[in-house]
Amino acid sequence: MDYIDPHIHMVSRTTDDYETLARMGCVAMSEPAFWAGFDRGSVESFRDYFRQLTDFEPKRAAQYGIKHYTWLCINAKEAENVSLSREVIAMIPEFLDKPNVLGIGEIGLNKNTRNESIIFLEHLDLAAKYNQQVLIHTPHLEDKYQGTRMILDMLMGDSRLERSRVLVDHVEEHTIQAVLENGFWAGMTLYPISKCTPQRAADMIEKYGTERLMANSAGDWGPSKPTAIPDLIMELKRRGHPRELIQQVVYENPKKFFSQSKTFLG
Amino acid sequence: MSNVTTPRTADKILLDEFLVARSKILEIAATLDRLDLAPGDVGSMQQMQRLKAGIEILHDSHGRKAERVQLLMSREYDPCWRTNLNVDAGRLPAS
Repeated sequence: MDYIDPHIHMVSRTTDDYETLARMGCVAMSEPAFWAGFDRGSVESFRDYFRQLTDFEPKRAAQYGIKHYTWLCINAKEAENVSLSREVIAMIPEFLDKPNVLGIGEIGLNKNTRNESIIFLEHLDLAAKYNQQVLIHTPHLEDKYQGTRMILDMLMGDSRLERSRVLVDHVEEHTIQAVLENGFWAGMTLYPISKCTPQRAADMIEKYGTERLMANSAGDWGPSKPTAIPDLIMELKRRGHPRELIQQVVYENPKKFFSQSKTFLG
Repeated sequence: MSNVTTPRTADKILLDEFLVARSKILEIAATLDRLDLAPGDVGSMQQMQRLKAGIEILHDSHGRKAERVQLLMSREYDPCWRTNLNVDAGRLPAS
């Protein structure tokens, strides 16, 4: 079955992974900018990273027939450095017209601090000024519930943002309802230990339906599985769900969400 | 939000998932045994208290167990966070 992975960090993966993903049915992916595992020291590091995301990775993906899209930002972990964050935010517009850029992301919170909140708001302001879609990271483990609620407060405090153009990612059982009820898109991240298993994602699909709901692997340099979406497909098939329902979650929904960006080719 | 009815009956789910659930209960039991046999006392540690409270949720008579375990393991949301952090949500701060 063809599918789209709406959140995967291919800069951290090998070319063999592209081949495996293509064999598994991945036809398109989007790669939000994220933390490299260490704090970068200057805006030039981010400029090079954005060149990698907008120039090198699309070519690598294309070798395997996969369309590669991306989102740009400085992530929440590095947002504690407010002056660097502001330099990066000021530089992002240089890249917004690149043909694979879908919007601003993955912005969000990590430890739910003041500086993270300030930089999150400044990213939202950038998105509003440039009419960009937004992809949002919600915090890990014990910080997720508090951080997700704070993020929703900030999103709903900005009337310039269209909720249908915002994806709130890494939802779990205690955060999904508030995200969907308030009109945002929700993403379930399938991870081996933290976040969400394919089985629990299938449970949430059964409970909340398929509207504005997606799944992703968020494959990166840590414990993660880039082929997690095929695992979810298998789980939904095993439970007896029809092909149309599965296709809605893993292909039609990402396509519908991405289509709100002028760069998405469908 | 539209609900998707689960295609499986309860007895089918139990038969499908019994072995997986059994193995997960065994893992928790073995973890508790490991703690019992190890030198030291973790009874007052917050993590231990949370695990015990989570286990209580598993065998109480209420639903939404996964969501309730998640909330048990979460920091509380403070609706006054904007005031406490001096962040004016929805507008950029002055500095």
